[in-house]
Amino acid sequence: MASSQVVIVRGKGVLTQDGKVDQKKLLQMYSRGLQLIHDSPNPKESLRRLFKADDRVGIKINTIGGRKISTRPEASQSLANLLIEGGIPERGIIIWDRTNRELREAGYRLNMNRSTLKVLGTDTNGVDYNYDLVAHLNIGSRFSRIQTDTITASISLAILKDHGMAGITAGMKNYFGAIHNPNKYHDTNCDPYVAELFETSPIKEKHRLSILDCLVVQYNGGPAYHAHWAKKYEALVFSLDPVAADFTGWQIIERLRAQGGLPSLKEENREPKYLQTAVKMGLGKASAREIKIIEEEI
Amino acid sequence: MKRRQFFKTAGGAALLTGSGMSSLLMDLYAFSRQDNLSQVEARFYKKHPNREIECELCPRFCKLGDKERGYCGVRENIGGTYYTLVYGKACSANIDPIEKKPLFHYLPGSSALSIATAGCNVNCKFCQNWEISQVRPEQVTHYDFPPQAVVQSAQKNNCPVIAYTYTEPIIFYEYMYDTSREANKKGIHNAVITGGYINPEPLVELTKVVQAIKVDLKAFSQDFYTSYVRGKLEPILEAIKIISKSKVWMEIVYLVIPTLNDSAQEIRGVSQWLRKEVGPDVPLHFSRFHPMYLVKNLPSTPISTLERAYNIAKDEGLNYVYIGNVPGHRAESTYCPKCGKVVIDRKGYRIEKIELAENRCKNCNTLIPGIWS
Repeated sequence: MASSQVVIVRGKGVLTQDGKVDQKKLLQMYSRGLQLIHDSPNPKESLRRLFKADDRVGIKINTIGGRKISTRPEASQSLANLLIEGGIPERGIIIWDRTNRELREAGYRLNMNRSTLKVLGTDTNGVDYNYDLVAHLNIGSRFSRIQTDTITASISLAILKDHGMAGITAGMKNYFGAIHNPNKYHDTNCDPYVAELFETSPIKEKHRLSILDCLVVQYNGGPAYHAHWAKKYEALVFSLDPVAADFTGWQIIERLRAQGGLPSLKEENREPKYLQTAVKMGLGKASAREIKIIEEEI
Repeated sequence: MKRRQFFKTAGGAALLTGSGMSSLLMDLYAFSRQDNLSQVEARFYKKHPNREIECELCPRFCKLGDKERGYCGVRENIGGTYYTLVYGKACSANIDPIEKKPLFHYLPGSSALSIATAGCNVNCKFCQNWEISQVRPEQVTHYDFPPQAVVQSAQKNNCPVIAYTYTEPIIFYEYMYDTSREANKKGIHNAVITGGYINPEPLVELTKVVQAIKVDLKAFSQDFYTSYVRGKLEPILEAIKIISKSKVWMEIVYLVIPTLNDSAQEIRGVSQWLRKEVGPDVPLHFSRFHPMYLVKNLPSTPISTLERAYNIAKDEGLNYVYIGNVPGHRAESTYCPKCGKVVIDRKGYRIEKIELAENRCKNCNTLIPGIWS
């Protein structure tokens, strides 16, 4: 069985003493990560393999945690800059999440100007959720029109966090922010819902890349921010395999929990069960022996 | 936004129907389109360390971290305190005949001011109001309609009853409870139209302020509740028993869905259970299903299936069995269980004739249970 590849790029010092982001270093981390996922000579080549020039690329971020523990604006902007350098027109890129309030609270500046890079929520006037329900297995949801109508390709740029119900929230669960009724999918450790949602056509057909923002990892008490369980980790995780990316994120959280003297998620009966469901559905790999990890430090 | 401004910008009453809103809201003394939600502390929850909470309103017992919402989508943990986001925020308000609920042994022919907020604590795949029940409150237009205004509106519109309905009123418990208390002060009744998915403590408290409850018993098997409702059957049966022991009038609706919950065995089971646990006089309505929401692959319930269910329930000794969603069917009417004469003649939601002398059959003087005036 062919293995999936996950790239972890560590960037010591990417978070400065005062908690700010060293943008130059962050850009280097992105460049290296994108280069490695396709073993390309440069990140542009990788991006060319992922996207067509006329793609409209959505960068789905997770901003529910507020300024302290959301996908950082610097992380989104750096990725957008690389996409632009890689040939995607600025007007063809949208950084988005479900609400403008959450985006603002996470430090984003909204931009609805059609001719430039857009930053907006599904609740923006004129956006909204698609009226038609998408029904798939246990899922019955209305999807953000950004996901269904606006974009042609998607990057899940999620913050990596512990999650009280799902175990972790990472790249796959990030798409809960693309539907109108995520509250209906938190039963039974969010399983099978995370996997089934990912398999719906609006997600699966457009998802191209998972990136986990692990600059700071909330390894317990999530999804909200708790300073004493938030660890400066200074890494980005990249994978073309959404399941492998999340599996790797889970392993990071388990390591941090062990270092912090906490029981494992499995011991708390909240390991991310959706990963094995996703494997059964053929969405990717979720075992150490089937995932090749390339880890570099910059 | 003032009322006049609203009409100017929204184009008038026609737009009010978009999310189930009727022209009734034109009568409110003040209403506005609200993008903001309420932040009223919820009842029935426990605080845990690290800003976590556990909701105790319904059998889901949602355990939520900070910034998370319950399954219902309308109650949120904000910094370790649990809030209802829909207190006084109606997304639907209409005046309906009480027969539409249906409540057949309760103030027949009266009008019920009927309100709902967004949200629900289950996810029935056949929901007929999913556009307001299966959404978050910020996803539908909602209006300021605080308890006092609801009661005033009921008085103004000659509604002797306020009905909490359309979605699942349990999820707007605080709003319903306070409105009921205000209504009681003015002599107005309160009727709850619910799936019955509620814990005993809040239910017992609710029965002290409302006068009628209609429970949608959606099936008599856990498999059905697991697959099509996303809930548990047992707590609902428990709720029915609690209501039956209170002074609240109760009726039961069973939506008959072809192949899913319509077997003779299941219908007999529910009928026997009701007779044993509640008694033979509880009205049981078998309603006709029409394809809706996520169950569109099944046909509408054949009339013959409903009639078979009716006959089974009668065989099992239930005195007041009805067939619903079939306008003009003879089983819409109430018959005296002793002499067989029609005591309330209904055509659809319309009352044609009432043959009761106070609460007794005019023909044979048999007591017909209910709240009749």
